[in-house]
Amino acid sequence: MNLNYDKASIEIPDSWRAKAPILFSVGLILLVIGMACSFLAPATGGDNAPAIRYLTHSYLANFVYVFSFSLAALFFILMQFLTRAGWSTSIRRIAEILMTMIPYLAILFVPVLVMLFWGSSALYGWNASAKDMENSVIASKATFFLTKEFFTIRTIAYFTFWILAGSWFFRLSRQQDESGDTELSMIRQKWAGPLIMIFALSMSFAAFDWLMSIDADWYSTIFGVYLFSGSMMGFFAMMIVISMLLQNAGKVQKLITVEHFHDMGKFLFGFVMFWSYIAFSQLVLIWYANIPEETNWYRVRLEGNWGLFSYGLIPVHFVIPFLFLMSRHIRRSRPLLLAGAIWVLFAHWYDMTFLVMPNAGSAEFFPLFGHFLGGIGMLCIFGTMFIQRASGVPLVAMRDPRLPEAMSYANPIL
Amino acid sequence: MATIASNFNPREIDNTDDIPGRRAPLITGDQSYNSITEMVCRVAENPQPMVWYIAFGFSSLTAVMFLSLIGFLILKGVGIWGNMNPVFWAWPIVNFVFWVGIAHAGTLISAILFLFRQNWRTSINRASEAMTIFAVVCAGIYPGIHVGRAWLAFWLLPYPSLNLWMWPQFRSPLLWDVFAVGTYASVSLVFWYMGMIPDLATYRDRSKSPLRRMIYGILCLGWTGSSRHWMRYEKAYTLLAAFAAPLVLSVHTVVSFDFAVSQVAGWHTTIFPPYFVAGAIFSGFAMVVTLLVPFRTLYKLENLITLRHLDNMNKIILATGSLVGLAYATEFFMAWYSQNPYEYFTFFNRAFGPYWWAYWTMVTCNVISPQLFWFRKLRTSPYAMFVISIFVNIGMWFERFVITITSLSRDFLPSSWGYFRPTMFDGLMFFGSFGIFISLFLLFCRFLPTIAMSEVKGILSITNHAAHGHDGAHGNEH
Amino acid sequence: MSEHKPRKSAEKKMPKAFGWMAEYQDEHSLLVAARKVRDSGYTKTDAFTPFPVHGIDEALGIKPTVLPFIVLCAGFTGLGTALLMQWWMNGVDYKYIISGKPFGITPASIPVAFELTVLFSAFTAFLAMIALNKLPRFSNPIFTNPRFDRATNDRFFLYVEATDKYYNRDSVKELLGGTHPDSLDEVLEDTTPSALPRPILLGLLLIVVTGLIPAMIILNMRAGYSTAPRFHVFFDMDFQPKKKAQQPTTIFADSRIMRPQVKGTIARGQLEEQDPFYLGYDPSKMTMLDKSASFMLVSTQTPSDSKAPDAASKTPDAKQTTPAPTVAPEAPKLPWIDKLPIEATEESMKLGKLKFETYCSACHGYAGNGDGLVHKRADSLAQGYWLPPTSMHIDRVRTQPVGQIFNTITKGQGKMASYASSLSPKERWSIVLYIRALQRSRNANIDDVPAGFISTLDEEPKPANPKTVSTK
Repeated sequence: MNLNYDKASIEIPDSWRAKAPILFSVGLILLVIGMACSFLAPATGGDNAPAIRYLTHSYLANFVYVFSFSLAALFFILMQFLTRAGWSTSIRRIAEILMTMIPYLAILFVPVLVMLFWGSSALYGWNASAKDMENSVIASKATFFLTKEFFTIRTIAYFTFWILAGSWFFRLSRQQDESGDTELSMIRQKWAGPLIMIFALSMSFAAFDWLMSIDADWYSTIFGVYLFSGSMMGFFAMMIVISMLLQNAGKVQKLITVEHFHDMGKFLFGFVMFWSYIAFSQLVLIWYANIPEETNWYRVRLEGNWGLFSYGLIPVHFVIPFLFLMSRHIRRSRPLLLAGAIWVLFAHWYDMTFLVMPNAGSAEFFPLFGHFLGGIGMLCIFGTMFIQRASGVPLVAMRDPRLPEAMSYANPIL
Repeated sequence: MATIASNFNPREIDNTDDIPGRRAPLITGDQSYNSITEMVCRVAENPQPMVWYIAFGFSSLTAVMFLSLIGFLILKGVGIWGNMNPVFWAWPIVNFVFWVGIAHAGTLISAILFLFRQNWRTSINRASEAMTIFAVVCAGIYPGIHVGRAWLAFWLLPYPSLNLWMWPQFRSPLLWDVFAVGTYASVSLVFWYMGMIPDLATYRDRSKSPLRRMIYGILCLGWTGSSRHWMRYEKAYTLLAAFAAPLVLSVHTVVSFDFAVSQVAGWHTTIFPPYFVAGAIFSGFAMVVTLLVPFRTLYKLENLITLRHLDNMNKIILATGSLVGLAYATEFFMAWYSQNPYEYFTFFNRAFGPYWWAYWTMVTCNVISPQLFWFRKLRTSPYAMFVISIFVNIGMWFERFVITITSLSRDFLPSSWGYFRPTMFDGLMFFGSFGIFISLFLLFCRFLPTIAMSEVKGILSITNHAAHGHDGAHGNEH
Repeated sequence: MSEHKPRKSAEKKMPKAFGWMAEYQDEHSLLVAARKVRDSGYTKTDAFTPFPVHGIDEALGIKPTVLPFIVLCAGFTGLGTALLMQWWMNGVDYKYIISGKPFGITPASIPVAFELTVLFSAFTAFLAMIALNKLPRFSNPIFTNPRFDRATNDRFFLYVEATDKYYNRDSVKELLGGTHPDSLDEVLEDTTPSALPRPILLGLLLIVVTGLIPAMIILNMRAGYSTAPRFHVFFDMDFQPKKKAQQPTTIFADSRIMRPQVKGTIARGQLEEQDPFYLGYDPSKMTMLDKSASFMLVSTQTPSDSKAPDAASKTPDAKQTTPAPTVAPEAPKLPWIDKLPIEATEESMKLGKLKFETYCSACHGYAGNGDGLVHKRADSLAQGYWLPPTSMHIDRVRTQPVGQIFNTITKGQGKMASYASSLSPKERWSIVLYIRALQRSRNANIDDVPAGFISTLDEEPKPANPKTVSTK
């Protein structure tokens, strides 16, 4: 195989690398300002407890928001090898870079663990909050499952698996850049199946641990799938945004074609629908059966002053992107698709906020605004990590044997 | 060329290996457009093999028995079944969910795999769609006769009745079922028929007798193969696929709502919708494998329905089987995590209560047996996959049995516990539905195009084009 | 080509020509030829292929179809229909409450809305495709060429229609001939007879007529009038092998289906009909009753048991501002028992108190004043037709024999329901005992107090002044 290409065209723009420290600083500053905003929340009873609650919840929501892109990227990579996909070869490296950011992102989870061992129950009430311990259900969960030690062990196990799987696949991919050996693809195809099974289990339980246990009383078996569907949707939006930005900076121009954007647009559309399906399934079952221990989670969200925000999820996360992305012309138009993807990135943040923030307290302007700033800050840090990981790595797996297929296919009809 | 291709011993060719960069051929032998036509058309044009007559004899007798039993049931009432307090939803709903689940494979293969550009679907989609329709027919029978007064089953539909002056209850999942299964059956039928139109035209153009020519001519609506028609046809087909894909998901989702909107422990859990859908795909693919393995041998279609097709289906069986296993595990975990004593008891009761045998049959067949497909040897051996697919079918029937019966027989009130025993009629009426299913499938093989010729040719054209059009990087397998 | 009208034209020698049709071996030659024809300016062209050939739309200059927009509209129609239907049927026209869910559009409306959206869109996609393609069309001049049979198998045809504005028979032939076709034929009018063969026509007619028969029968039965007995499908349900009460029979010599009690046997529950403990009166003393009282007794034993004054007050228009009947009601002159059949022990008193407070106090109040919570609530609603519960302390009740109070609990009275199924006879008697104690408490004098307790009293008990409901 002898594809002639210009090495510079598949590297990250130098201007980006130059701006990385600025981006990081902006992100950090926004994060801090956002946290500070939590303290503007009306304090009840004269203490800062609600502020700490807002702050920790906001941090977790924003962390999961950016982390879900990388986690979904790992799934995407595994899936591409499992299905022996050819179309995605030219965009796969970008997803691989997202995937290899998991170790960096893992560092961002450390504050949560530190907070647990600090003895704070602001985020996870099961961590010895006297009020929660009065509840016999939570108390019995907190005997061995929801304890800070076991929680940490599980978290480390998830991260270990994700990091090992991701970095192994990335290493093989990089080796192929040098050798072009098809055997390297075969190995990945062979192991994608077992890894994806472990992934499903780990993602499901991570969702239960990190997000569902915020409300330790509540349980929903579909919760892992819910987080997965939203994450995949966010991932495709992120892929579209990154690819477009790279192309606008003059990189990977010929390698990522309108067909790829069209396909990613279809996946984006598909996962908007899949998320709606999962979210609806969860809601309708709990709404219909009307069992108090389940409905409480929705009561907090749909009644009181979170109601407006939560009902906003329907237009923001479903109606608008669904109607917008329905047309083939929009999916094939670069600026419109970019607009759609940015909207979906916002919708995913909105969803993470919906999952986490109502447990912190009532909807107040300042903490929510701070949470939004924090989200942007977290995205900036995420961007810095991407630039860092992408430096010195070709943005396309140029010697992947399936690259010609990715370059020559065309979307039929839809 | 056609004769060479047809006589070629397909067992020699293993096209399941897919070296990256070189796509393995989807169909084996040196095929041309004409040889594909010949191979598919001879299924209906040649006299049927003896096996067909024997199988049809048995299955039609079974079907007649089933229909007579339905008549008997209508005359005597549903009391002939074993449905009794506290298990009023017994085999009829188990059989209904079983058949509806099987019905998922066809439209999934034709719609979802179409949207994912999985070209291997073309050889198997027609037979799977036919299987879908026949399975929906079998499924629809059970709620129809379970309503008691089966001749008034049309009351389920919202029609402005002059006698009743009332409307159906739209907040009941059972009514959603009417809409979901009804929509699914009719849209699948349209999808199936629309896909057949070009192939029916081929049958028409090859017919020797004027009567045959006229019948196929009417069925294919005078199809000419005009490019203007093709263009709208493909657009409509794609749109139908785009609608059918979420429809497939919705049908078993609604079926799962039948259980999950209630408060019965073991029924009410939020993972039910995706879990039921995964189970449905699982059982549907198993049934497709069960049917296609003998089908391709009987009609010597091994060059069109190759090991690669079967291998891919087995992989999907493995994937969905594992998903179902994951759902079982999640349910079990959540039963503990919820700290709800009723949930906890229900799951304990499933595994170690009076129905332990059903539970462990289910786990063995559904979770353990598909794991054998990790081995390539078993994935590509027709005998092995036939046996495993039958195991999966059994397991999926037991899954519905376990969900329905164990939860109902022991729910919140120990004083109302019971043990369900089926009657002879339960067994015969389940067995009889296979008669209907297999009879219809055999008639389909006899009279209608069993493989989507035009789609297989389209894929052949693309692969030929790719082989000739580029510098050979793709390889030239054909 | 639309003016094609097949007719029997024996005298017409030269069939009408519709254009030229060229045949090709493979799709690539077809594409090359199609581009050439397009570039020559012909627009009324078509290609006939066994499968959709990639790139033919561009090669022939086929414009995109409006199909997706039609389908989109159909989808929204389906969605609207479903939502409107559910809102109207379950929210407006025929409301019913299902597990407390709201009417109108709820999450429960979504599944049906989704299904109908898909149903409408899918059928529209199919039917619109058929309609836009102007199908079905069974007679088509292109079918006259026997070579065309392979258009659905492995050959590719290119067709230039005679209706094209640049059409010239010879130049088109030359143009197509230059693309190296396998064959080049002129599409001629179909000259075969277009009438349906007679047997087929007859067969169709027969099917239609037989198909109408059931419909006619049903229509006749729906609209018509018949004196013939209905057709019995479920014979065993319509004619069940059993006898109803009071019917004659041939099985027994006396022709009665209802059998008298066999001598020396006692039916279940029969003993209780003899025992004052279960009745509140002594049946053995019934012989002492006069005739009118016997009638009264029969009436008390019927389910619609009521005594004259209460029966009057039960009617809804008996709005009473005056206290409940001041005249003591005419008690049936039944041989009520005066003595409690149970022992007045501490234990039975406690049981009576418990049961009274559980079952009776809701209306009659804890002290038996007839001012329970139900009464207070009903009274505060002031709807006017509320009949206050009887106080235990009015003379009428105080003077009643215990058996009669027992009877009231057992059978109910007025609005009060029977408590026979909730309370065992022993419990009912215990309640009577407790009521007696309540009554006594209001009418006690110093002699009733046990000697040892007199000294503990620091004042006289309240004067015996049974509080009646006269305040209402």
